[in-house]
Amino acid sequence: MNGLSRFVLRRLLGMVAVLLVLSVAVYAAFYLVPADPAQLACGPRCSPAQVAQVRDQLGLDAPVWAQYGHFVQGIFAGRDFGTGSASVHCDAPCLGISYKTGEQVTTMLWDRLPVTASLAFGAMVLWLLLGVASGLLSVLRRGRLTERALTALTLAGNATPVFVIGLLLLLLFCAYLQWLPFPSYVGLTQDPQQWFWGLLLPWVSLALIESAKYARLTRSSMLETLAEDHIRTFRAYGVAERRLVTRHALRGALTPVIALSALDLGTMFGSAVLTESLFGLPGLGKLLVSSVAIVDLPVVVGLVLVTGFCVVLANAVADLLYATADRRVVLS
Amino acid sequence: MSIEEYPRVESAGVLVWRRLRSSRAAMAGLVVLALLVVVAVAAPLLSAIEGQDPTTYHDGLLNSALGGVPTGSLGGIDSTHWLGVEPGTGRDLFARLVYGAQISLLVAVGSTFVQVVVGMAAGLAAGLGNRLADQVIGNLSDIVLALPSLVFAIALMAVVPSSFPRPLLLMLVIGLLGWGGTARVVRAQTLTLKELDYVAAARLGGSGTWRIARRELLPPLAAPVITYAALLLPSNVVSEAGLSFLGVGVKPPTSSWGQMLSSATTWFQSDPMYVLLPAALLFVTTLSFTVVGDAVRTALDPRAASRLRVGVERPRRGKRRQKSQTSQASQTSQTGEAAA
Amino acid sequence: MSRSHIPGGLRAVSSVALVSAILVTVAACGPKATGSSADATAHQGGTLTVLDENPQTDFDPARLYTTGGGDVPGLVFRTLTTRAHVSGAAGTKVVPDLATDTGEPSDNATVWTYHLKPGLKFEDGTPIAAADIKYGIERSFAPELSGGPSYLRDWLVGGASYQGPYQNKQGLASIATPDAATIVFHLTKPEGDFPYLATMTQFSPVPQAKDTGANYYKHPISSGPYEVTENQNNGTTMAFKRNPYWSAATDSQRKAYPDVIDYDSGLDPAVINQRLSTSSGSDAAAVTTDTNLGPSELAQIAGNKGLASRVGTGHFGETYYIAFNPKVKPFDNPKVREAISYAINRTAVVDAAGGSALATAATTFLPNQAAFGYTPYDWFPAGASGNAAQAKQLLAQAGYPNGITVTLTHDASDGSYTGPAIATAVQAGLKSAGITVKLNPVQDSDYSSLVNSVNTEPGMYLASWGADWPSGGPFLAPVFDGRQIVTDGANFNNAQLNDPAVNAEIDRINAITDHAQAAQAWGALDKKLGQDAYTVPLLHPVYERLYGTDIRNVVINDWDGRLDVSDVAVK
Repeated sequence: MNGLSRFVLRRLLGMVAVLLVLSVAVYAAFYLVPADPAQLACGPRCSPAQVAQVRDQLGLDAPVWAQYGHFVQGIFAGRDFGTGSASVHCDAPCLGISYKTGEQVTTMLWDRLPVTASLAFGAMVLWLLLGVASGLLSVLRRGRLTERALTALTLAGNATPVFVIGLLLLLLFCAYLQWLPFPSYVGLTQDPQQWFWGLLLPWVSLALIESAKYARLTRSSMLETLAEDHIRTFRAYGVAERRLVTRHALRGALTPVIALSALDLGTMFGSAVLTESLFGLPGLGKLLVSSVAIVDLPVVVGLVLVTGFCVVLANAVADLLYATADRRVVLS
Repeated sequence: MSIEEYPRVESAGVLVWRRLRSSRAAMAGLVVLALLVVVAVAAPLLSAIEGQDPTTYHDGLLNSALGGVPTGSLGGIDSTHWLGVEPGTGRDLFARLVYGAQISLLVAVGSTFVQVVVGMAAGLAAGLGNRLADQVIGNLSDIVLALPSLVFAIALMAVVPSSFPRPLLLMLVIGLLGWGGTARVVRAQTLTLKELDYVAAARLGGSGTWRIARRELLPPLAAPVITYAALLLPSNVVSEAGLSFLGVGVKPPTSSWGQMLSSATTWFQSDPMYVLLPAALLFVTTLSFTVVGDAVRTALDPRAASRLRVGVERPRRGKRRQKSQTSQASQTSQTGEAAA
Repeated sequence: MSRSHIPGGLRAVSSVALVSAILVTVAACGPKATGSSADATAHQGGTLTVLDENPQTDFDPARLYTTGGGDVPGLVFRTLTTRAHVSGAAGTKVVPDLATDTGEPSDNATVWTYHLKPGLKFEDGTPIAAADIKYGIERSFAPELSGGPSYLRDWLVGGASYQGPYQNKQGLASIATPDAATIVFHLTKPEGDFPYLATMTQFSPVPQAKDTGANYYKHPISSGPYEVTENQNNGTTMAFKRNPYWSAATDSQRKAYPDVIDYDSGLDPAVINQRLSTSSGSDAAAVTTDTNLGPSELAQIAGNKGLASRVGTGHFGETYYIAFNPKVKPFDNPKVREAISYAINRTAVVDAAGGSALATAATTFLPNQAAFGYTPYDWFPAGASGNAAQAKQLLAQAGYPNGITVTLTHDASDGSYTGPAIATAVQAGLKSAGITVKLNPVQDSDYSSLVNSVNTEPGMYLASWGADWPSGGPFLAPVFDGRQIVTDGANFNNAQLNDPAVNAEIDRINAITDHAQAAQAWGALDKKLGQDAYTVPLLHPVYERLYGTDIRNVVINDWDGRLDVSDVAVK
């Protein structure tokens, strides 16, 4: 087994461990709340007999550890809720059944995923373009006014919450200038053009904030790469600075940028909640806010686990990108 | 021997202050922050001077047939209501904004305090404890860092009964979900410091672990912890605003900027002032915190400044570096998450 | 008899009115919409799109809880009677649907007989018989098909113990079908409102041979002008096409102009209104059945004639009020309740609910509609913004000369008129009368079980009552009839009032089969009950509905205040 695959294996095992602890913590935090889940699922009009029936159906009369066991079993092998003719099968990976709609949580998440994925990927493309470009610009214009302006801008970008930027953009482009349509989500396969225009404002809002970080990262790693020996040699040979920056140094300098992108992309699946709430996009974050409002616990738990999984996965991918891109990093 | 340490620390403080003073941006940020603190503390006085309070309804100033939009121009700005009134209620916006500053600053400082205290305790315990303690705490902070903190916070805020005081809950939730970074920084520093001669000497001199931590480690840890806390502050301001924006923050009739922005989102076309005021305040506050934090970092560690000023550190070679890079990136993305 | 289910999309409606953390823009974004001026005639054919917030969950006639047969359900399920499909107050009348009349009462309104119209057919061409209606009603008793109203269980002889046709094969004896076109109901007590109950989807025919039990919701057999062609995610996305066996000759109410109806739900209220306002593509031929315009949207529409002409107004019989529990001090003292009634600032409350276009100040418990027997009264005149002097005087008499501190329990969720916005408006209003109000927000999911349980009911809380049908009976009886106090379940009699005189009066009016006469009696009873200040009526909501540019023949009745999808035409 070579170093790389050992590294991957180690990371995978670590991921599983983290997810396991996460699932116990989440399950404990949200299922042991004082409210009676059976009552929640059944609704206020239920008679005590009906509540008992629901409790049985959801397997809530089993001991807590057994319930957790069923939960985990559902994720890997699927599970049945209730017995006999009234039983409902929940396919693996089963995260439970919504108290309110009776839908499988996995299906609900799957339905919302394209929205959040469109939002996250589109925003990433934009923040990479913006961030790397302004980072490069500030390297080329070291010590000049442009650099100072860019530094100030990135500081400002870093300091602004997305709902402030988003609201101001809406006010400007949608209400005042009326250049852009009000953001809405249309499936990419349904109408690519509407998909693009509907998501443009959310993308820009997110990218303006995130690109600040990338500009700083690009600049720092570029400066470091430029200080390395082989670049100095090129410079000594009289290669133009612009060419040095855009051709030779860029490749090496982009590794941390891409690694951080992977990380942010993973985080975005959970943190897009503010953007989705602001623009009314029916993604995972919007689902979280509405599920929290009605205490639809299986959906909340499912969302926390899935977004946690995305973050853990992204961490691993970022590490892996490092490991493969930068051979000088000793694999452990 | 530790007596000799104190003058050094004090002169460092003087030095840092001198460096800070030389930065115009930092001074501007500090002045704005000082002003905000004064405004927050003097909120009752300021609204009394205006002759208003944050909870009284003024329905006479609203056009009820048009959904309750303020009748006056610019959201009802006049000599009695300096910044206009809130649509739907007619409550005085100036009073609500200055009272909102209380919540914003209180929660930001409080949650940073929780993060620093928990993070330091965990970091010291990991750095000074045995292998097992280090491993357990290390994994724990890994998990805290891996939590989708915003998602978790929303869920937690919703599950805790409404009777629990909301500002305190906000501090605890934001604080307890954000100590992972501090713990890592403190652990790394502790491991380095532990090997230094004067600490070893103290140990040989018979000082216990607790005494060493208190007398020998805390002073030199102050600089990195203050730096880190200064960076946490703006992201905590944003976190509070975000949670209130999503409707899981403070409860009515308490005002907070995030909650005001959230109700303003429906009004941004018919009453733009209602959006612009809390948005501007939130922006100025987080920007000032960021600028000051940046300057504090530069002042405390001028050697690293050129590198640190431009953000996430690049990894050096070697496995320790490899690990610390990831943690750095996680910290950044945590901060970024709060903003997103 | 439930607050949470009766009005179909009640929660949806109010959440739209108060929109919490959601972005709403109507007028300015995108191309300016133009009003529907020319070509006002209804047009056969085309595709209608329905954009809703809440899905058609459990689309099974046994499980739906509708008022007047519902809107989208009404496309597929015809019932013995239905609401009149006309705009305004005339739409509160009950009219025959499958039956030839609204029912013939006998034996002091304890027996109701219906005759079916000739020529009625299901979507597969088989004729509709009285036995199919009987079977449909029996299904709603099955525990696995829960969700419907409890009236049938309470009213039909033997209903209390009947467990549905799957367990009790012999059926419910109190529903007789002497021939294929006649159905007779035997009730335990006189119920003059039976024709109103017969509008609910439980009175829709279900062919026993096609019954698939718990899966019936996926494709219920249509008796109406449309049949289901698609049902995804339990009613989130649906499609309907014309039912070829439906005949306009047997249906005087549904116009059924479009050929196809596409139903999409799970949408953000702001997005729905935005799409309707922009009206691009298929959204031009779109309506919503459950989404109201919000206050800020109204502010914008006012400045845009094209949009203003595309707004329809509706009313649903509903009252939001402060409920007192006199078993909790100090609300046992009538003077304290009266003082609060005097001190209330209804202008602030109405503005918090979205202003005068979206809410009307209420001083009566009954909704302000003739169908309910609305009889104006104001026993404790608070004026527009509260009578602080009178309130202080009453408090002093009650032994609180220096004011009083009370706790107001309310729903923590922003999305309803029982939520924080109204609570803070009440709080601010009472302050001027020396009444300090502490707010006690309760999680949305726990709220109704907390306030509707006699064991946990708080002393003072925000509540609402909506009508199952436009009549005083279902409005007053559950709240004031002492025999309807439920000690081990959902109780809506907040005062736990058990006054034999009131109970007897309720029985007397229930037996009246003439609606106008009954309405007058309900109004008088409401006026009398109001004197005791067990509630402080706050407001009656008003619905403002936006629709697309190609929509014609808009009918919004005052039965449910919704835009009727079975009547609209698309250009």
